[in-house]
Amino acid sequence: MQIYLPIAELSMNLFFLIGIGGAVGFLSGLFGVGGGFLLTPLLIFSGVPAPVAVASVTGQVAAASTSGALSYYRRGGIDLHLALYLILSSTIGAMAGVTTFGLLRAAGQLDLFISVSYLVLLGFVGTLMMTEALRTLLRRRAGVVIRDKLPSQHTWMHGLPLRIRFKKSRLYISVLPVLAIGLFIGWVGALLGIGGGFILVPALVYLLRVPANVVVGTSLLQVVAMMCVTTILQALTSQSVDVMLAFCLMVGGTVGAQFGASAGKYLRGDQLRALLALLVLGVAIRFGLTLVLPPSDAFSMAVITAGGAG
Amino acid sequence: MKRLLLALMLLVAASPAGAEKLASTVSTPNVLITSSFDGAVLSLFGTIEADAPGVALTGPYNVIVVITGPLQDRVARRKTNSFGIWRNTEQVTFKQFPSFYDVLSSGKLDVIAPADVLAGENILPADQARASASEGETARAEEFGTELVRLMTSDGHFLVKEDGIRFLSSTAYVAQLTLPSDVANGPFLAHTMVFKDKQLVAEHREGFSVRKSGFENFIFVASKTQPLLYGLVCVALALGTGWLAGVVFKR
Repeated sequence: MQIYLPIAELSMNLFFLIGIGGAVGFLSGLFGVGGGFLLTPLLIFSGVPAPVAVASVTGQVAAASTSGALSYYRRGGIDLHLALYLILSSTIGAMAGVTTFGLLRAAGQLDLFISVSYLVLLGFVGTLMMTEALRTLLRRRAGVVIRDKLPSQHTWMHGLPLRIRFKKSRLYISVLPVLAIGLFIGWVGALLGIGGGFILVPALVYLLRVPANVVVGTSLLQVVAMMCVTTILQALTSQSVDVMLAFCLMVGGTVGAQFGASAGKYLRGDQLRALLALLVLGVAIRFGLTLVLPPSDAFSMAVITAGGAG
Repeated sequence: MKRLLLALMLLVAASPAGAEKLASTVSTPNVLITSSFDGAVLSLFGTIEADAPGVALTGPYNVIVVITGPLQDRVARRKTNSFGIWRNTEQVTFKQFPSFYDVLSSGKLDVIAPADVLAGENILPADQARASASEGETARAEEFGTELVRLMTSDGHFLVKEDGIRFLSSTAYVAQLTLPSDVANGPFLAHTMVFKDKQLVAEHREGFSVRKSGFENFIFVASKTQPLLYGLVCVALALGTGWLAGVVFKR
């Protein structure tokens, strides 16, 4: 059954859209990430214009993260104080990201930038997660007792000026690294159409030493808020948010996420992290190959719109 | 006196004796896009008639129909390899380039139509590209124009079909036109030309439109005129869907 997407100005199969929304939603529920880093490339590959894909996926990521954030909130797994600082700074980052998006489109280098960013970001985070997960797996096999909590030692970042007490996270740290992380996540997220959960969680854990019981909930709330802001910004500037496309993805995504979350209970944390790392690395390699392999067609075309060429 | 004679001669040349006229129509003057739109098939009908009563029509006739979609500015880009990385390095802009372009004819174009008409009307897709290439790009426009036409053709937006017109009788014809599902919205123009003995004897232009209707149009207009409200509705929809899924699956 075909459904016409009024902003993308093309028709797509309804079941295909709900299906990829559901499949990515399943993975996002399983791993606790938004799934934008999988969904945006998938949509572009299926023929959705890149600006529409990036702008519409934000809505889907917001929806998929909402139910997770709500359940963490009920359990008290969110540091609202910390989330507020992250949300404020990532809003500013998102504004810069939407502007950068327009500039790159006009210069015709959006493809290159997206490929390189995915390669670098996903490659880096994937390798990090993989080595960490493998180390845990090997130690478990060797029978070594693993400490669940990271040692709450301070890094140089915590000692910067403007220190603030985050009660829930039991942290008394400088606000500057918090704002810097928020800015970066906001910028990258708006630019690549991703929630940035897979970057934010390691950043909160390794850089800020946020305790494990609040890290996922806080990250989810930040992703929801930032995706809402980005959706509105995209609607205002590029006007390429396709509500029909977003809704089809949301329906599939939220349902898939519920199944993913229950499937996740059957796997251990380190196994989950190793699988997610594999997935992230796979996407990174896929983008790396498009950069180094000769393209099947050296020529491409794009329509120049008011916001630049797509 | 000499000038008048010249003008008269030109007039005679423009409307040759036993002149034909063309009556034609499009099956769907308003193509409406609804939620289940998946492309459209249109028919173009026409008959060649005598200009004045009592004039006998002597064929055979040949017809070319050129259908042009809404014009857009478009760029063609080329990836080249520098330092091991493939990236877009060259681009040529084509101003006011058709988003859709079909040439349907009842025979080989160069056989049924004189070269000057083919060239003068920019009938071939490559000529369209040449005509809309931006100034000072003539050197690369040829190559990039060819590639652009190739890309548009493989996407189903450009087509040259030399058996696209079928004659029902010696003077009545029908042509079928397929619009892809990602067709641009806006005004379309069908330019029909009738040839006899490689001479243009009649022509006719008519328009039809492709536009969104009902809910699809409402969404599109809302995103352009009320972007803030549109964005807020998208956000509300996302939060609502996420919340609902959480409630439904909580059990």
